[in-house]
Amino acid sequence: MNGEKLPEAGIIIENLVKKYGTFTAVDDISIKVQPGQIFGFLGPNGAGKTTTIKLLAGLLKPDSGNIIINGYDIAEDPVKCKLHTGHIPDRPFLYEKLTGDEFLRFIASLYHLPTETFDKNVNRLLDLFDLTDWQSHLIESYSHGMRQKLIMTSVFMLDTPSIIVDEPMVGLDPKSARIVKELFKNHARVGGSIFLSTHSLEIAEELCGQIAIILNGRIKAVGDMATLRQKASLETSDLEEVFLELTEAEGLTEVISALKNME
Amino acid sequence: MSVLQYGIRRALLMPMLLSAKNRFFPPGSWPIKSMGAGIFCLVLCLVIYNVTLRVITYFHEQDELGVILSLKIFQMTWILIFAMLIFSCMVSAVSSVYLSQDNEIVFSAPITTPELYFMRYTSNTIYTSWMMIVFSLPLFTAYGIVFHTPPLYWLLMVITLVSMACSATCLGLLLTVILVNLFPARHTKDIILYLSLCFGVLIIFFIRLLQPENMVNPGEYGNFIEYLSTISKPAAPYIPAGWAANFLSLYLLDLEIDWLLLGLLLLTPFALYFLGEGAMRMWFFPGYSKSQESFGGHNKFGNRRKYKPGTWQWIFNKEAKIFARDSAEWSQLFMIAALVVIYLYNFKLLPIERAAFAEEYITNLIAFLNIGLAGFIITSLSARFVFPSIGEEGGAFYHIRSSPLSIRRFLMYKYLFYVVPFTFLSLTLVIISNRILHIEGPMWLISIFTNLFITWTVVALALGFGSVYADFKSENRTVTMGSMGAIMFILTATALQIVIIFIGANPVYRIVRRWLNDHVLNLSDLYFLIAWVLISVVISLGLVIYYFRKGIHTLENS
Repeated sequence: MNGEKLPEAGIIIENLVKKYGTFTAVDDISIKVQPGQIFGFLGPNGAGKTTTIKLLAGLLKPDSGNIIINGYDIAEDPVKCKLHTGHIPDRPFLYEKLTGDEFLRFIASLYHLPTETFDKNVNRLLDLFDLTDWQSHLIESYSHGMRQKLIMTSVFMLDTPSIIVDEPMVGLDPKSARIVKELFKNHARVGGSIFLSTHSLEIAEELCGQIAIILNGRIKAVGDMATLRQKASLETSDLEEVFLELTEAEGLTEVISALKNME
Repeated sequence: MSVLQYGIRRALLMPMLLSAKNRFFPPGSWPIKSMGAGIFCLVLCLVIYNVTLRVITYFHEQDELGVILSLKIFQMTWILIFAMLIFSCMVSAVSSVYLSQDNEIVFSAPITTPELYFMRYTSNTIYTSWMMIVFSLPLFTAYGIVFHTPPLYWLLMVITLVSMACSATCLGLLLTVILVNLFPARHTKDIILYLSLCFGVLIIFFIRLLQPENMVNPGEYGNFIEYLSTISKPAAPYIPAGWAANFLSLYLLDLEIDWLLLGLLLLTPFALYFLGEGAMRMWFFPGYSKSQESFGGHNKFGNRRKYKPGTWQWIFNKEAKIFARDSAEWSQLFMIAALVVIYLYNFKLLPIERAAFAEEYITNLIAFLNIGLAGFIITSLSARFVFPSIGEEGGAFYHIRSSPLSIRRFLMYKYLFYVVPFTFLSLTLVIISNRILHIEGPMWLISIFTNLFITWTVVALALGFGSVYADFKSENRTVTMGSMGAIMFILTATALQIVIIFIGANPVYRIVRRWLNDHVLNLSDLYFLIAWVLISVVISLGLVIYYFRKGIHTLENS
């Protein structure tokens, strides 16, 4: 993250299945995220994105299939996998009665972060996110965006080879959003891998070398932008049109024109 | 009221009513939990009814004095219920009127202040008084049975109870609106919490220092004659609880209806309602606006010392800081301190010298039974502090789940954090009560080691149950304490203690009897004692391991 090469990273998902009762949320998906790659994970609401993220973060147990992070199988060695993975959730749940600084120390101690790494990374990240003046205040007084930035700080300070992100930009101001994008790019540049789930097609288009589109728990398409355009038979379109085409939003044109007529 | 206004008021109550309906009668399944809760309430009502019936019957057997005394208790109960309702309404009103999560939806809708007042008043009245009404009904019913009243008493009783509850919640809401206008809402909640705590502690002290067991003791009657004229006076003639008590007392004694009191009882809730509505019109919005501004952002905590890695240290640190910074949590320590004082004070008051057996036998017996009593206190406090500690991690628990710290280790650190203060408390209770009772010899050791063992087991069970029944969405520990999981924990821990004490009675009796008679220990008695220890360890360890494993499994799959 600071120019030095991280240990080789990579996330491999093989034939992953997760069911809630009779409902299959994730249905036999296989994905490979190479070291140095930002992998975009797109899909409409309820498609299975958050379930996949939770499976990768070790928060849910799959019914079948494998997840391998940096060479460790999450089913066999969850602790090693978690040690190598930072997780940024879509909702910033934090300990309200701790200060920002105390929260960072708490997280650092869970990951056995050495003192030097903590000192080196935390001050810089707090400065980047304009949180230095707030680090001694209780988290209960933080705004939504500040909480999100604190979570980002807590993950980036760990220098983990893999990062799993669910909706990274929710609640962030433009400056912070820009910083986060640069941090992601930097992380990939030094060999880290990022699995990024988002609804923002602009972010996916800007950051991700590879994109997968999930629909009803199954991977509908995977590849770089050119491959996706090819699959959608829309050679010159942007990601929004490709996404709408691949997620079978057929009735959308009619709905939009009906709405326009209402006006 | 126009049809539109009526429609809005009905709509405003819909979230509460529909949530209750969905909670108690979940669509598509049998309401097994609700039925269980209903049966539990019914059993509790029967217990309250039976105990009250016995106590009141006992008082009645003490001639005229007993009747007056029972009515005095009747009046005290009404005043106590009234005061408790006002306080609980105030605490609840601060949350529901000013800090509730649905405020943003409700306040941004085009509804008037009277409509808002109606909504909050109705929900507050139901939430804060239903339990008091349900559980005081068997109590007052027992009075009707003992006094052989005609059926009209039941109707008057229900009217009086509902009227008093409505008056209490109106007053509570009115006071809250005024208080919040003076302080920001979060501070007001703390102020009310402290007031409630002081109120609770004072009531316990009041009851304990009054020594009701001495009130029917003939030895105390010299002073009691003077007291008689005082207690025969009507209670608190200026508050609705006093009217309620005096109105029903008159009916119980002479079957007469005081129409003035009935009029007051019926009209006061309406008068207070409109007074509250007026206060809401005047002061609600400024207070609400203030409560939005008040947050602890200006406070800074701690100093920036060098970061030192250490997982268990930081788990301890986190737990301690969260506890110390939440006034709703640490303020409970006052209550615990009061409980400990009253607990130990009770031992000092025991009339051991009047017992029919040798004093040593009685004190040793009490010391043995005290194991269960201290164990029950540890169980109650574990239900309050340890059981909810997993669920209270809330949404932030994902930090633990996604970290390389295993759930097993996390639970172990939590256990170590809680077991230390509980051990200290347990030792304090047993060592001081043993000292007051002048316990020496084997019973001293047995009571201390058994209590330590029970404490360590109960704290572990609380964590195990707390993991199995963790509610990560619960808003506070008090709510969690009343949950099904907490009740299951209390029942299991209490049953375990009863089993341990029951199995231990014989071996301990053998050892202590021989020690008291001959000051020697016999080897065969020791075998019995060792067998008891082994059986207790096997049962306790079995339970702890089972619930810990189940808890780990539940948390790993949550």
